[in-house]
Amino acid sequence: MKRTVLIALALLPVSLATASDDPIAQRQDLMSETREALKPLIGISRGQADFDAETVSASLAVFANTAEKAPALFPEGSETGGDTEAKATIWSDRDGFDQRFQDFAEAVAAAQAANIASAEELGPKLQDVLGTCKGCHDNYRVEKE
Amino acid sequence: MKRWLFFLALLALAGWWLTRPVGFAPGDVSERTAGHVPDLANGERLFNAGGCASCHGRIEDGKPQRDIMAGGLEMTSPVGTFRAPNISPHPDQGIGGWTALEFLDAMQRGVSPQGRHYYPAFPYASYARMEATDLLDLKAYLDGLPASDHVVGGHELSFPYSLRRGIGLWKRLYLDADPVIEVASGDAVLERGRYLVEGPGHCGECHTPRNFAQAMDPGRWLGGAPNPEGEGRVPNITPGRASFGDWSADDIAYYLESGVDPDFDVVGGSMVAVQENMARLDAADREAIAAYLKALPPVE
Repeated sequence: MKRTVLIALALLPVSLATASDDPIAQRQDLMSETREALKPLIGISRGQADFDAETVSASLAVFANTAEKAPALFPEGSETGGDTEAKATIWSDRDGFDQRFQDFAEAVAAAQAANIASAEELGPKLQDVLGTCKGCHDNYRVEKE
Repeated sequence: MKRWLFFLALLALAGWWLTRPVGFAPGDVSERTAGHVPDLANGERLFNAGGCASCHGRIEDGKPQRDIMAGGLEMTSPVGTFRAPNISPHPDQGIGGWTALEFLDAMQRGVSPQGRHYYPAFPYASYARMEATDLLDLKAYLDGLPASDHVVGGHELSFPYSLRRGIGLWKRLYLDADPVIEVASGDAVLERGRYLVEGPGHCGECHTPRNFAQAMDPGRWLGGAPNPEGEGRVPNITPGRASFGDWSADDIAYYLESGVDPDFDVVGGSMVAVQENMARLDAADREAIAAYLKALPPVE
């Protein structure tokens, strides 16, 4: 019994380390966070939720964080594995790929600078941001069912 | 021996006749379009519904642009490379000199003004279901876009696909102007949705699996297919796929408008260009498409 616990304890840090060191898992987590942050913005722009400035700025902050951290999570050697949807073009056209996150960062910064105060003002800014999502998903992501 | 030769010659003749490019009879087209005055706003709507620019737009930064239909996009496939032609109104390099009959022959019969077959990579098997008057509106709209003298090279296909004549047989088997799916007659919304999806939108060209002859399988209509451009899959967009069946008609319409799905995922791949075109349609057209997709026979 004692031995089992010891072995389990010894293995624990190792398994934690692999999870947090795996760039595929990390970037997938980052994309999930981004998607969660998009949720309230869509609710507001579809008229399903009331406008709330704090919610909007919190979501935009998540987007800014994604734009900053994501490029480093696609290192050489992380082309395949897990259920990654990363396309080979990320590595064959690295500059183009990095530029897409630059575009994303700029669209998010413009939205942040606009001090959005209503759902009507959010609409076009959100479209600009979504345009930069699509601008990358179209050529650098594999579409799965 | 002589009889054999005669028989062979007869067979060759029959084959030649069966595979010949067949356009419309001029009288038929003038009847379908009699007295029509081109409507440019409708032409633009069809230009967007059909996504003409997504293949025929001039290429910049590796992507087709919306402003000039100079062509040049290369599409690689297992049978070789197809090149999207110049459909700008240039009289020599484009299609500016085409008559209404020539335009309809191309769009619905897959026959060029020179009387050659087009490959079905050009989705005339879908456009065959369009109204002739809509096509005249589309042609009028295309004629108003800037002309380009850009010369696009020919396709590079492997044998036997390099033989165009075989397409004649394919057309006899699979080119059909009738709707694929029966909808409640008199339901204007469903009929409009069906028209947009099965006709100009040519959604089935990617979303419907193909049979051994590369024709869309009507029995698995819009049931999902391998990605023709490589990795991944083009999704099943019938209610038969649980994760799509859960979308409401409103969700589908909103996705076509914004590119965001009910899981807050943002559209990717070739669908980006399609969605951006759909976003330019009237809201009622997106709602009609959504209603039609919800009414499809489920493909598991």
